[in-house]
Amino acid sequence: MNNGEPWWISLIKAGIIVNLVMLAFAYTTWLERKLLGRMQLRYGPNRAGPFGLLQPIADLIKLIRKESFFPVAARDSLYIAAPVIAMFTALAAFAVIPFGAGWQIWHYHVNGEIANVSIGLILLFALGSVGVYGAIIGGWASESKYSLLGSMRTCAQLVSYEVSLALSVLGVVLMGQSLNLVEIVNKQGATIWFFIPQLAGMLVFFFAVIAETSRPPFDLPEADTELVAGYHTEYGGMRWGLFQTAEYVNMITLSALAVTLFFAGWHGPWAPLGPLWFVLKVFILVSIFIWIRASVPRLRYDQLMRFGWKVLLPVATINAVITALLVVWVH
Amino acid sequence: MLVASAGNVVVWMVWIVAAFACLGSGVAVVSFSSPFYSALALIGNLGSLAVLYLLLNAEFVAAAQVLVYAGAVMVMFLFVIAYIGPRSESPWMGGPGWQAVGAVLAAGALLVEIVVVISLKASGQLAHSEHVDATFGTPAYIGRLFLTDHLLAFEITSIVLLVAAVGGVILGAHSRRSPEEVPSL
Repeated sequence: MNNGEPWWISLIKAGIIVNLVMLAFAYTTWLERKLLGRMQLRYGPNRAGPFGLLQPIADLIKLIRKESFFPVAARDSLYIAAPVIAMFTALAAFAVIPFGAGWQIWHYHVNGEIANVSIGLILLFALGSVGVYGAIIGGWASESKYSLLGSMRTCAQLVSYEVSLALSVLGVVLMGQSLNLVEIVNKQGATIWFFIPQLAGMLVFFFAVIAETSRPPFDLPEADTELVAGYHTEYGGMRWGLFQTAEYVNMITLSALAVTLFFAGWHGPWAPLGPLWFVLKVFILVSIFIWIRASVPRLRYDQLMRFGWKVLLPVATINAVITALLVVWVH
Repeated sequence: MLVASAGNVVVWMVWIVAAFACLGSGVAVVSFSSPFYSALALIGNLGSLAVLYLLLNAEFVAAAQVLVYAGAVMVMFLFVIAYIGPRSESPWMGGPGWQAVGAVLAAGALLVEIVVVISLKASGQLAHSEHVDATFGTPAYIGRLFLTDHLLAFEITSIVLLVAAVGGVILGAHSRRSPEEVPSL
């Protein structure tokens, strides 16, 4: 499975990547608050450290030190497990994303991904579909009507947009002729970046990712004034923090997936910078997510559902069918 | 990765853990009093089955199992159970007599099967392992089988799913409108 790489290198790499993703998450929250501030003509966090750079650490300390309250009626084990499930699936999904071509370090070959799985794309979606349980179990175990209704809303949203998400990448799979993310990236390096022929697929993917990660304008769980938030209404402190972390890590992972599928991963238009290109592209995508948050108001729930089923799904289906016809015709 | 290629301790350990998780979660499904916990145990059951598939070189089937069954289908189960509310039922109320007879017969058949397999294995008749080439279990391999050897079953399944989808729409429309504007089924 991991061609020529000893198992302990994979383990070390996994440890490094998990920590890098967590660091990226921490500074995505900083970037988000800074960018939002600038777009709204204010400074954003600027008290903790230079340019507010210590703000994520201050937030972490605050969340951990908060009293971890518990609804009396909550089912303890499930209540505690729910954020853990959300967090685990979010972090595990990054394992199949390739970020470099692989290197020769000393006399070991190190692959540019943690696990080179032949069905990496399906594995990623499978982890995403398990991640939904974090929301549904959390909402149910809180034993509160608001949480339950919120988790129903979130689950319906996630399940609906998962369909469009999976269908939108079908065109890429057909063109790359593989479910292996490394092969898809290599194919793009050898031919053309897939966002050009798969523009419709990329747009559907992008909208579906916003909904999958509950980002504005699809952030119904955050609508605490009109919808009493959502599945995490009864969560506080670092438990709530884990849900929030999972959301951001999902955003980073799915941005990385978008880079892999549509923007040729670590390949750059010039200069072989490898992983730096990958990081730069992910950074640009994440910034676009933040930009959208600053620009678009939240959708109503029925608008959200209508958009998912009546706009994204048909476009994704037609795109997949046309791509299939073209691929058969070209061969 | 086949279990038959013995000596691989990790494979054996994973197999034992997955097999016991499979049995344990199966028993848990029928013995929890809360249907929500039963459904969670069923997810665990499907997940441990996926691990067993993985050990049999069927990576695609394992991932599809998690994606479709442990993911999408079971979310619907939990959805409905959470909506219906906290209604606990005792797991076993005592069914009709024929159920007990059927259960005993099924258990007996299973026991016979286990005894036969173990005796065959002991007498060395199961020693040869099937040759598995590199393409076995890949999406391309499974796709080719679907469109050649199993085309009829594949198409019939798609029709069954289509009928289920249309039926769901009709039932949904039926319950949403007032009785007089709905044509009788």
